[in-house]
Amino acid sequence: MKNTGVLITGLGVISAAGTGISATLDSFRQRQRNAGPVSIFNTSLTCPVFEVKQIPDEFIIGKNRTLSLALCAVDAALKDAALGDLTKLRVGVCIGTTVASQLNDLEFYKSYRDTGDAPMEVADRYLKSNVAEFIARKTKARGPALTVVNACSSGTDAIGAAFSWLKNGLCDIAIAGGADELNLVPLCGFSSLGIVNQGLCAPFDRDRKGLNLGEGAGVLILERADSAKSRNIYSDICVMGYGASADAYHLTAPKPDGAGLEASIIKALSEAGIKPSEISFVNAHGTGTTDNDLVEGKVLGRIFGNDIKMLSTKGFTGHTLGAAGGLESAFTAAGLREGWIPASIGFKNKDDSIPVMPVMKETKINGRFALSTSLAFGGNNAALLLGRL
Amino acid sequence: MNVHGIGILFSGGRGILSFENVLKDGWQRPAEYDIPHINKKTLAYIVKPEYIEDKVLLKKMRRADKFSKMAVIAASDAIKDSGLDIEKNRIGVILSTAFGAHQTSFDFLDDIIDYGEVGVSPITFSNSVHNAAASYIACALDITGPTLTVTRFFFSFQSALQLAQTWINDNCCDHVLVGAVDVCGEVMRYVFDKKSGSSADGKIRPFNFSAPSNPVPGEGSVFFLVSGRSAENAYCRIADIDFNRNPESWELPDIDIIDADGMVDGKAYLKALSLKVPAAAYSPLFGSTMTGSAFNCAAGALMIKKQMQYATPVIDNSEGLNLADVSRPAKIDLIRSIGYNCLAENVIVHLLRST
Repeated sequence: MKNTGVLITGLGVISAAGTGISATLDSFRQRQRNAGPVSIFNTSLTCPVFEVKQIPDEFIIGKNRTLSLALCAVDAALKDAALGDLTKLRVGVCIGTTVASQLNDLEFYKSYRDTGDAPMEVADRYLKSNVAEFIARKTKARGPALTVVNACSSGTDAIGAAFSWLKNGLCDIAIAGGADELNLVPLCGFSSLGIVNQGLCAPFDRDRKGLNLGEGAGVLILERADSAKSRNIYSDICVMGYGASADAYHLTAPKPDGAGLEASIIKALSEAGIKPSEISFVNAHGTGTTDNDLVEGKVLGRIFGNDIKMLSTKGFTGHTLGAAGGLESAFTAAGLREGWIPASIGFKNKDDSIPVMPVMKETKINGRFALSTSLAFGGNNAALLLGRL
Repeated sequence: MNVHGIGILFSGGRGILSFENVLKDGWQRPAEYDIPHINKKTLAYIVKPEYIEDKVLLKKMRRADKFSKMAVIAASDAIKDSGLDIEKNRIGVILSTAFGAHQTSFDFLDDIIDYGEVGVSPITFSNSVHNAAASYIACALDITGPTLTVTRFFFSFQSALQLAQTWINDNCCDHVLVGAVDVCGEVMRYVFDKKSGSSADGKIRPFNFSAPSNPVPGEGSVFFLVSGRSAENAYCRIADIDFNRNPESWELPDIDIIDADGMVDGKAYLKALSLKVPAAAYSPLFGSTMTGSAFNCAAGALMIKKQMQYATPVIDNSEGLNLADVSRPAKIDLIRSIGYNCLAENVIVHLLRST
């Protein structure tokens, strides 16, 4: 095992599964699936989604739901890390997203199309909505800032980028993760691809029929050990490795042999200096789509053996796109810290073509290392390896 | 890290030689383009369709949009320009963009409006996603290293460069293709026109700080092939990427290049410029774009490699600054590429002669 010296000193999450880690773990324990029809915008699509029912008022940023979600998770993570005034610290911000980065406001565009006159306040709002810049300004973080827009692996890749900053001494602390709102445009887009489930998603299940979209934000405070020590903060959870690879195969489908995901996992293991047998559990991407789960399941079986403890938490949160990697990394860290992982909700029947099987009940974890994986549109694959010292 | 190759696509053509010729020739009036919904023509620096015709490179990309095609061409040209053999699993891609494939996003909104929520095209949606272009690069060039798309409006490219540096330091890759891509579709031209007005003569005046200078929207793509390896035949070395440092603490270079292009109040640049150092700004050659820093860094890299100062193309010097007003051979060891955003935050990229 190699010590990268990068600790996780704070966690903050908001999703349909709860606001804050404690509430989320309670949902996990109670096997709550807070899904329902879309209520935050008008749509004719009837698929269930995992909405955040209430963002605390103090975090609501006008009409920008992604920023509101991000701010809520960042605030919780900073409090968890006992961080207040950041002005005298070297703090970077790296956040993954998809929706917040796109200039795709339907009312703005419809107005332009219909009348040749579009409300410029929408453009102005968009120009203030780069998530990392927004969070950096809000928290007065003066280190590097970057928004990662790598589709569904954005959150994991953002944590990977922040990890790299810390190892290179560009900052001492990084606010890293992902945030994304539920939005009509991706809902229509994913529906058009035929991968949205009309019922509740069932990751890795034999009868899986696709994903449910969700929303939320998951943020980790990454901190160099010397910085944490200087603040008298102790954490035994750390980032040990990160790996990313491209499939170079297809715009929307994963490479059937999973070579890209396998390479990402091998890189993360190699950086951490640990063997596959030392991984205690994997929080898989596990969207509930036919192709993703098949490829991912095969790769996990190939690397870790068929008995690896693994799960998908998307049965609790839905697929939160750019937030997924942030949320799932936080859940992975919490699993290591708490010593248990929840049931992979939605899973009932083993798919014979997938060698691994997710856990069906709350499961005790004794090991010190865990992995969170992400697969994305465009064939991006990412793996984040966390450890307990 | 050293810059081994540059691929570039802009309104003046494709390839580093085209860019060099434009730097030598100076400013040319941009073309007019329609904004049909407001029945108006405005000037813009748009990449001509013939510049993105490449039957070999793009043969599997018939359904890709202009954004992705521009990205693939510049990325491929950067590798070709380097003359290096690249190990495909040891090269990473970091694509930066201010606005992504927004024109395709609007096409997708057309689908929703015209055909309803269940009548939209999955192909249009797939191509509207920010990271589609980087995926096309990976597919077209068979790159299996890490592939990332990032955005930060005015500082997208510089932030990508900074990350590329860490990837090389971490030995995550031997080489990184790091670049910037932005398109300027009809809606973007409308937004420019409505928010900033139009430059009547098509000239961006980067050094006229006394009056708001109108931007002239531009588009294009620039990719750099960088690595930590030998500097042999390299354009230059990227030494530091500094964000929000006090300009007075900066080492004086041989030339300053500023990203001013009419989108930001240029007065911020006054704090960063010294009368001892000739200054240039090349935005009048490629247009106003938030990722313009990539084009300016390409100009800087070329100047260091050729040991040639290129004249700043539009000299309208309201502050009596020391401008690089002639093209001439020059000893150039250090160039600073300086960018400011609307909040007067700054970033500087230090380009050093490779040794």
